[in-house]
Amino acid sequence: MLSAQSAPAAPPKRRKWLTDDTLTSLSLVVSFVLLCVFFASQTPYFLTQANLSTIASTIAIVGITSIGMTLVLITGGVDISVGSVAALSGVVTSLLWLEHGIPLGVATVLGILAGGLVGLLNGAIVTYLKINPLITTLATFSIVRGLAFVLSEGQTNLLSNEAFNFIGRGTVAGIPFSLIVMLTLYLIFFFVLRYTSFGRNLYAIGGSPQASRLAGIAVTRHLLIVYVISGLLAAFSGIINVSQLASSAPRAAVGLEFTVITAVVLGGTSLAGGKGTLIGTLIGVIILRTLDNGLVLMQVSSFYQDVARGFVLILAVGFDQIRLKFGQLQRSKGA
Amino acid sequence: MMANQMNGAPLLEMRHIHKSFFGVKVLDDVSLSLRKGEVLALLGENGAGKSTLIKILNGDYTMDSGEIYLGGQHVQFHEPRDAEAHGIRMIYQELHYAPDLSVTENLLLNELPHGRGFPGRYAIDWRRAREMALARLKLLDLAIEPDVHMRDLPVVERQIVEIVKALSAEAQIIVMDEPTAALTPPEVEMLFGIIRNLCAQGVAIIYISHRLDEIFDIADRVTILRDGQHVATQAVAEVTMASVVELMVGREIEARRKTIEVGGGAAQVVLEVQNLTRQGAYEDVSLKVHAGEIVGVFGLIGSGQLSLTRSIFGAERPDAGSILVDGSACTIRHPQDARNAGIGFVPVDRKVQSLIMGQSVRKNVTLSNWGRLARMGFFQQGVEKQHTQHWIDSLGIRMAGDMEVPIRFLSGGNQQKSVLARWLEANVRVLILNEPTWGVDVGARSDIYDQLEALAQSGLAILLVSSDIQEILSVCQRILTIYRGRITAEFLRDQVTKDQLLAGAAGETL
Ligand SMILES: Nc1ncnc2c1ncn2[C@@H]1O[C@H](COP(=O)(O)OP(=O)(O)OP(=O)(O)O)[C@@H](O)[C@H]1O
Ligand SMILES: [Mg+2]
Repeated sequence: MLSAQSAPAAPPKRRKWLTDDTLTSLSLVVSFVLLCVFFASQTPYFLTQANLSTIASTIAIVGITSIGMTLVLITGGVDISVGSVAALSGVVTSLLWLEHGIPLGVATVLGILAGGLVGLLNGAIVTYLKINPLITTLATFSIVRGLAFVLSEGQTNLLSNEAFNFIGRGTVAGIPFSLIVMLTLYLIFFFVLRYTSFGRNLYAIGGSPQASRLAGIAVTRHLLIVYVISGLLAAFSGIINVSQLASSAPRAAVGLEFTVITAVVLGGTSLAGGKGTLIGTLIGVIILRTLDNGLVLMQVSSFYQDVARGFVLILAVGFDQIRLKFGQLQRSKGA
Repeated sequence: MMANQMNGAPLLEMRHIHKSFFGVKVLDDVSLSLRKGEVLALLGENGAGKSTLIKILNGDYTMDSGEIYLGGQHVQFHEPRDAEAHGIRMIYQELHYAPDLSVTENLLLNELPHGRGFPGRYAIDWRRAREMALARLKLLDLAIEPDVHMRDLPVVERQIVEIVKALSAEAQIIVMDEPTAALTPPEVEMLFGIIRNLCAQGVAIIYISHRLDEIFDIADRVTILRDGQHVATQAVAEVTMASVVELMVGREIEARRKTIEVGGGAAQVVLEVQNLTRQGAYEDVSLKVHAGEIVGVFGLIGSGQLSLTRSIFGAERPDAGSILVDGSACTIRHPQDARNAGIGFVPVDRKVQSLIMGQSVRKNVTLSNWGRLARMGFFQQGVEKQHTQHWIDSLGIRMAGDMEVPIRFLSGGNQQKSVLARWLEANVRVLILNEPTWGVDVGARSDIYDQLEALAQSGLAILLVSSDIQEILSVCQRILTIYRGRITAEFLRDQVTKDQLLAGAAGETL
């Protein structure tokens, strides 16, 4: 059958690798290099080994949470509750260990599972009650943060244990352990998104939930899983956070959702769903982390850092829109 | 100028239009002329470039080179507004409407009337708007409520509203891109009445359709495109159905289909529906489809057949009754249950219900089959490409570029073939098709029928819902007629006449 191919019309002029996704990544890398050049010229400390390893060891929290967020955004949803979930997992872990004498390893796992449970709740509300994901996770954002305060009675608990400290502060051959975990997770989910039917279904669902459903894809189950993954990863970030600070607090990870969404969107993932890559997200995370670090080194006040981040977000999305418009123009002109 | 018009110099002329997408020529030196008061049929296979040509006329696409003359004047349109200002109106192939606005608002989108005086002139005069909308709907003698949201109308009526929208007073040229694809015969007649009326008033019409018999009813001349090139322009009086088809396709198409006897009584029942009922949609429907059989459900659009098939596929919950696959009852509560039971489903509205518009042809074709293409959960891209290429070749799916082109860039007919390919790829045992050849050209239609027959021969059970009587008669072995949600009669193809089918679909019991 395959032999009876009629000769295809002229091959498309556009080169294969020059897809929208690669363009996004490429422009991100360029912005990243520019950013580094700028900071390096402003402060000599920026490029020192010490500073680079600071960046490397503090990137995991945002990085890991961003993986889950990328998946959620690809399906056309959003998860605002990640910061609260990160706080909750730390609080749960420390309470179970300190007050109930549960072994720290088990307590940590339970803390992470608590995050998965919140994710399950998010997913269930979104799919069964059909409440918009923004509203749903905005509600759990508030509920879960409140819960963290209630459980901990607003207290900060010190928490130190050699093995536990290793999660956030240990190094393997000079490389931060948390960074290794983060990169491993990126690798795994990169493959999941790209090469498994689960991953491809997520893009389809984000592209058109109705068509996906009528194509026989178990949309509900996929969404549930995605929110659970997001919850689990956010909770895990919360554990890293506790390990790095050697304390758990209900106030932890405030504003994490904002940073994470910024990074993911910066990386080219569309809020409308159906589009996004983990490579983009990774670069987005690195850029954001570098920006924060550079601004601190330049002794810019933290208030201005917020301003800068907001601008970066607008710039990133605006840039994407312009590129998209341009692309469409090209297309309808037939270039 | 005046003299020009008198001896019938063209109202519109498009000269030497060229257009490429992604470096592939879609229009190659196409010219077209349109006279005042005539209906020009624009014909061609799927992907021949018809829609592209009229989108250029409308200022929606920019041409690479070429010229447009309107009443002898050279014009350039940069956006659809420009064309509109010159009295050109479009009825697009793909519907463009605001689903959450009312019919009134959709009809008067750009011209909602305002009140008088202060502060009235800053507010919309809804009473007058409603009257205006009603008046326009009257043109087509339609009983559509102007206050309902577009979303709540059946697809047919949405199409009609789109048509009505274009029939405004200032229109000089109206372009209709497959306006009748979703209409029932009486509505088509009504539309033709309107078209004749408009022509008598001097309006010129470019009419695109794959229903060739309509051309002989309504058109004065035909212009035929093939692979982006102009092949002929002739008066309708000088052409025959066969000559038109040959010009379009470049070869002869067998008019009569060979009768293949497949399946039938002895074969095993694959799909059985017992007493299925859904309030307000269909009632007490029982039917059987054997392995190797193509069963047709014929009825006017809106007789409950769509809802029925959606229920069999698990997309709508029936109130009562049961569905059996291979003789054992199965609980189908979601489409994925149906898919797992081996049922495939081609819905009517491909744009919204079947296709992931932003994704490539490849991904759309393999959408229901990703599990099978994966080994241990991981995808095998090489195999996937092979499979996709196989369907592209055997169904003749055509596109500018390769299988990585986003499916939204395919012509309507080719999109439809891709949906079909998806289910063939998914290896189903029962295939439910809703109006599978809406917007599909004659050649491709014949390809699709051939495919369906070949599939039936290989043991697939096919349930075909169609309002096209020709289609039903040419591919189905057994035909059920449906009227207001009830099955009114059952026929074997060899023993039925057109009139019997029409009577069954009109609810007359025999
Ligand atoms: N925006 C676009 N980008 C890329 N290719 C396009 C675009 N629009 C159309 N094409 C391609 O141009 C060719 C002609 O398409 P067109 O829609 O004009 O066909 P058509 O004659 O209207 O077919 P149909 O009868 O199926 O509607 C097709 O191969 C199609 O894939
Ligand atoms: Mg078309």
